Amino acid sequence: MAASISGYTFSSVCYHSANSNSDHEGFLLGEVRQEETLNISDSHIGSSEFLSVIEVHNHEPCAQLFSFYDYAGNINEENLDRILKDRRKNVIGWYRFRRNTQQQMSFREQVIHKQLTNILGIPDLVFLLFSFISTANSSTHALEYVLFRPNRNRYNQRISLSIPNLGNTSQQEYKVSSVPNTSKNYASVIKEHGTEFFDKDGVMKDIRAIFQVYSALQERVQAVCGEVDQSERVREKIQEEVNKLKEEIALRKRNSAEEERRIQEAAAETHPDSSTLPESSHSSLTGVVLSGPSAEPSLERPVNSSSPPIYSTALPPDSPSAILLPRPQAVGSPGHPSPSLGLGNGDGSSSDSLNRQATGQEDHEEDDDDDEDEDSSEYENLVSEQLQPTSLPDAVALGRPATLWPDGDAHSPPGS
Amino acid sequence: MNSLSPELALSRISPELRPLLCSIVRNGRVGLDSSSCLRITDLKSGCTSLMPGPCCDRFKLHIPYAGETLKWDIIFNARDPELPPDFIFGEDADFLPEPSELPNLVSWDSGKPECLLLLVKEMLQQYHQYQCQRLRDSSRLLFEYDSLLEDPNYGRNMEIYAGRKNSWTGEFSARFLLKLPVDFSNIPIYLLKDTALDPGEDVALLSVSFEDAEATQVFPKLYLSPSIEHALGGSSALHIPAFPSGGCLIDYVPQVCQLLTNKVQYVIQGYHKRREYIAAFLSHFGMGVVEYDAVGFTKLTLLLMWKDFCFLVHVDLPLYFPRDQPTLTFQSIYHFTSSGQLYSQVQKSYPYSPRWDGNEMAKRAKTYFKSFIPQFQEGAFANGKL
Repeated sequence: MAASISGYTFSSVCYHSANSNSDHEGFLLGEVRQEETLNISDSHIGSSEFLSVIEVHNHEPCAQLFSFYDYAGNINEENLDRILKDRRKNVIGWYRFRRNTQQQMSFREQVIHKQLTNILGIPDLVFLLFSFISTANSSTHALEYVLFRPNRNRYNQRISLSIPNLGNTSQQEYKVSSVPNTSKNYASVIKEHGTEFFDKDGVMKDIRAIFQVYSALQERVQAVCGEVDQSERVREKIQEEVNKLKEEIALRKRNSAEEERRIQEAAAETHPDSSTLPESSHSSLTGVVLSGPSAEPSLERPVNSSSPPIYSTALPPDSPSAILLPRPQAVGSPGHPSPSLGLGNGDGSSSDSLNRQATGQEDHEEDDDDDEDEDSSEYENLVSEQLQPTSLPDAVALGRPATLWPDGDAHSPPGS
Repeated sequence: MNSLSPELALSRISPELRPLLCSIVRNGRVGLDSSSCLRITDLKSGCTSLMPGPCCDRFKLHIPYAGETLKWDIIFNARDPELPPDFIFGEDADFLPEPSELPNLVSWDSGKPECLLLLVKEMLQQYHQYQCQRLRDSSRLLFEYDSLLEDPNYGRNMEIYAGRKNSWTGEFSARFLLKLPVDFSNIPIYLLKDTALDPGEDVALLSVSFEDAEATQVFPKLYLSPSIEHALGGSSALHIPAFPSGGCLIDYVPQVCQLLTNKVQYVIQGYHKRREYIAAFLSHFGMGVVEYDAVGFTKLTLLLMWKDFCFLVHVDLPLYFPRDQPTLTFQSIYHFTSSGQLYSQVQKSYPYSPRWDGNEMAKRAKTYFKSFIPQFQEGAFANGKL
């Protein structure tokens, strides 16, 4: 069993007691609640503990001694009701204050306690005893308090009384107690002014407003999801088309390369001495290369981000920056406008800016038959792989790829 | 905790409560052991420290009971002196008297100075009953109690203290304090008035401690009021027989009672016998008597002459005369010893019988003197110097 008393009630009791010039007594009002704690741990299946908690909310001091009992300790119910008025059902115990005495229930207190238990019908009536000890020269006074449960057996009688928030609240949390506010004034003021803050259901208005904002946001997010879904599908379709077109390009190039080779072979047959060693090696290389189509990407891999230079024979050379494909930009990077609350322009397309940027860069890039390259800015690898076969005629040059770069620098991706 | 002298206690207590405390402190004798009276300690106040003057209204009262001392807190309120006090019964937390059986509490009258003392006495009665209830834990001791209760001699003058059960060994102990119904009224006054203390009531108390519930360890002790103890011859009078194992109080107590009574009788008889003896000597030796103890009849001095030889005879009568023989001291009036004293000779054994009456003793003494004196005279001349 645990007991707690609010700080203000405690100080009020102390105030009344310390100011009386004799012993002092009164009643404690409050409530008793049962707490059940369920403990679940690995070592045993949950056990539940029951704890009775007594909370003292208020007190009713008696104006004088013997106000509700006589010399023999018999209680007068009329007087008792007069003191308690209509709060009789809130009584959970009574208290007594005595100076310079022992912390033990006295004869009369025990007699009264028994009768109170019967009259009030509270089996676990508690008794709070204050004793006030002063030193001989009145320099130090100690207020000691003990809460008794006299209706239990002799060895289990004392309960510890805690006063919440009596301590260092900077290190402990400030506990809010469940003491109900019984002040009538407070209740009437709140009732009067409450309509400004509370709606008819008793819920604070602000809460509703915030909830509405939240719902709106949720709806928007759902809508955006739908749009993203759609745009993704569109993109997928376009990507497929791009891939198909690339395959066609590759095929065409392969055919044209074969034709050239045939023409050259035909030419070589007529003039075998004119062919240079590199060319023969080239042919053997090409032969090697051709025989293993899988080797093609391996040869060309170091070329990944810099494949456009292969076109240098066929296509006008561009600035190095134009050759290099743009890197995808992350959201919030300086290359992008920072995302505002309204992500996008309200039409659900969040990749607009990305696309815009990519198109900007692609402006520098040479136009190809594959003008769909712009959309595949993220797919650098794929692009380069598709472009590999077209570099076959320059395979000899590719034997030492590092020397082929126009600037001589290694294949470092363009910094943004 | 020092007990306060009565005057000090009275000076510190609140004036309205003073009469109540007065009767406690001055006349406070409760219980069997009335030689030790109620003591007051720890006088404290229930008022604020700003209250001036004597305002103590609560104290601890020490009450002797069955060989123990009960320490009860009595709590008044100086601001409401007409209200009855409250009590805390110290270690006897289970003791709760029934208020309806305390008439002095129910109709408390603060104007009556002895009200508090009467209330304390009533509470003590309740306490006694409470202790007797505790005896029920041991059937053996309960039997002892019941058997004593039936005897009217002892039943009404009994205090029981049923000790706390020792929580480790589970031992139960009890102490019976009984007032022995021995009549001390015939003890000669001279024996009693020598004590420096206020004798109070002459009482003999027998305390029997049972250290266990089966009555295998029993320790009896006899307490006599100081004057009686002195009258009976000091602490040797307190030797009582050991408690017989397997015996019970209802047999033992009368035994002790009888023993004490016999001793008292002895003393009384001794007194009369001595008186008789002295009277006889007076009549026999007439003018030869120099002086004698006319109160206790314990001494007699004679001045006798035999063939022009004068000598003194001092007769010392012991307490348990006639069982014990009187001591005769012969003293020469002429001769001195080297230390400056008169030459004397002590005779403790001479023809004597306790069955002789006073006259007979006087006659025989005379005969003995005649036979002994020549011897003495020679000795005096030989050893003493004039």
